[in-house]
Amino acid sequence: MLLRLLGVSKRFGRDWVLKDLDFSLQRGEVVALLGPNGSGKTTLLRLMAGLLKPTRGRVERLGRALLLSNPPAFHHHLTAREHLLYDLAFHGREGDFAGALRRFGLPEGLPLQAFSSGMKKRLALARLLLLSPEVWLLDEPETALDAEGRGLLLEVLKEARGRGGVVLATHDRALAERVADRALTLGEA
Amino acid sequence: MRRVLLLALRDLRLEVRDRSGLLSLLAFFAVMLFIMALALGPEEAPLRRAAPGVLWVALAFMSTLLSSRAFALEVEEGTLDDLLLTPGGKEWIYFGKLLFQLLLLFPLSLLALLMAAGLFYLPLERGLPLLFTLFLGVLGYASVATFYAGLLARLRGREALLPLLLFSLVVPVVLASVRATAGLVEGLPVAEVADWWRLLLVFDVVYVTASALLFPVVLEG
Amino acid sequence: MLKAANPDRPDLLTWAFLVLGLALLPVGLYVALSAPPDVNQGYLARIMYLHVPTAWLGYLAFFVTFLYSLLYLFRQDPRYDRVARASAEIGLVFMGLALVTGMLWARPTWGVYWTWEPRLTTTAILFAVYVGYFLLRGAIEDLELGRKAAAAVGVLGFINVPISYMSVKWWRSLHQTQSIDLTTGKIQMAPEMLQALLFNLLVFTLLYLGFVRFRGFLAALEARREEA
Repeated sequence: MLLRLLGVSKRFGRDWVLKDLDFSLQRGEVVALLGPNGSGKTTLLRLMAGLLKPTRGRVERLGRALLLSNPPAFHHHLTAREHLLYDLAFHGREGDFAGALRRFGLPEGLPLQAFSSGMKKRLALARLLLLSPEVWLLDEPETALDAEGRGLLLEVLKEARGRGGVVLATHDRALAERVADRALTLGEA
Repeated sequence: MRRVLLLALRDLRLEVRDRSGLLSLLAFFAVMLFIMALALGPEEAPLRRAAPGVLWVALAFMSTLLSSRAFALEVEEGTLDDLLLTPGGKEWIYFGKLLFQLLLLFPLSLLALLMAAGLFYLPLERGLPLLFTLFLGVLGYASVATFYAGLLARLRGREALLPLLLFSLVVPVVLASVRATAGLVEGLPVAEVADWWRLLLVFDVVYVTASALLFPVVLEG
Repeated sequence: MLKAANPDRPDLLTWAFLVLGLALLPVGLYVALSAPPDVNQGYLARIMYLHVPTAWLGYLAFFVTFLYSLLYLFRQDPRYDRVARASAEIGLVFMGLALVTGMLWARPTWGVYWTWEPRLTTTAILFAVYVGYFLLRGAIEDLELGRKAAAAVGVLGFINVPISYMSVKWWRSLHQTQSIDLTTGKIQMAPEMLQALLFNLLVFTLLYLGFVRFRGFLAALEARREEA
């Protein structure tokens, strides 16, 4: 078991965003996280990543978790190559970032402010693949991706399955049905 | 350990690329010194007497601004999360941000010294002890500034709290640095100035350690 | 020690401290006013009976905040944070009183409201630190982060005290001005004066203990209301 949430509740001010949630993630699983806007999907992903602490309950994690935000966060004055270099170093890993950039069709030497949102999404996916955590958390990764990008996303999800477990927040039902083993839906009473 | 250096260098690279930030900081600094010289001058004696104080007030302002910048960029870009998701304890982020500031503050304090020499008739004969004082003082100030800037970074619009929280803690640094500088400039033997150095050293060790240990605690949401 | 349990009303010990403290307060006042005037300062020195205990308790209160902040950082138990915060509040009041009485004492004695006397200056610095403690708590919405941040300030602020004191003391010693000492060191203490001082110290300590426990109790009630 890679990730477990026990009785997790989260409150912001006086609003309870999540209440008494139980969840577990096994290795090799892809779980879709569904729900309308504002139902707390992003909050839940951040809780799973450990960026937020639950107001009540416990989050247990085996291994590293990484979160692909929507939109992904980058330092725009760096090039893709530089960014990946630093990211790998901060995580204490090595990887073939040149090869990854090639695979995802991204230029090495262009500053990120020149990237389109689709390219940034691809870069985020490439980064995730290089850093290869045990728990993969993706927040609406399908947005801004063209057909080729979606193909890459599916490849990444497949490889992620082999390396750990995935929680995928999405509005795209078709995508969810295609890749997910099961779904967790938020926004119910 | 390597990541500390890389974080500092990366931030440095970002500052250099986004030139506007550094330049406005330098400009503010120069203007501040200039205005203070105008206000306190033009006679040589009062300027020279005021020089150590002016120098350290300017450095204090710089350090405060720089520490907010060190984290403001992360918050702006949303990249703080990525740093928090790295493996292991998060003290390295503190040290990396601190090192980044020091790499900028040391050349800046050198520049400050030169400007003080020019505008405030500050004698520079004992360059090496003066530099040592700058090193100790800047380190002490930045150590606390980094901690508070990191703490306040995510609280939108709360940067106004930074000066209040900061100044009440760094009184010893300011006092000791100014006194040491003034002592050196007045020609006191190093042995007498060394008392202030010792106090600065104690402050530095205590606060770098305490801040580094407490930093991860206050970064988590 | 000062750990408040989870009661519905303040416990017996709290009432004991408060009642005893409040009852003895007028006694303390009487004792203070009936003590002989100082050889040097005359009746003026009587402000010492208020100044010294409040200063002493102010520092004690912040020391308690420091301890309980550390405990909170290690154990994450909200009760520790409640005590730390209650002590900081009461401490702030006592420190404020100490500063005001210090200034009131200085004015007729030396003609100035403020001197850079090491003890007074360090008190002012510590006062500023704890104002920051509360401003920070107010600025942070997330309860958990607020507690941790406050605890950090409680720790960093207190370890600053000895260093600040030394720095101000050396700073002052550079100038050959008279060493203005606002405490009993410069006053020849007749035995009755010492007794009066110690008695008032006891009274204020009782009040401190009572107030902190009571405030802690109120905080526990507030927390319980938040939970619901």
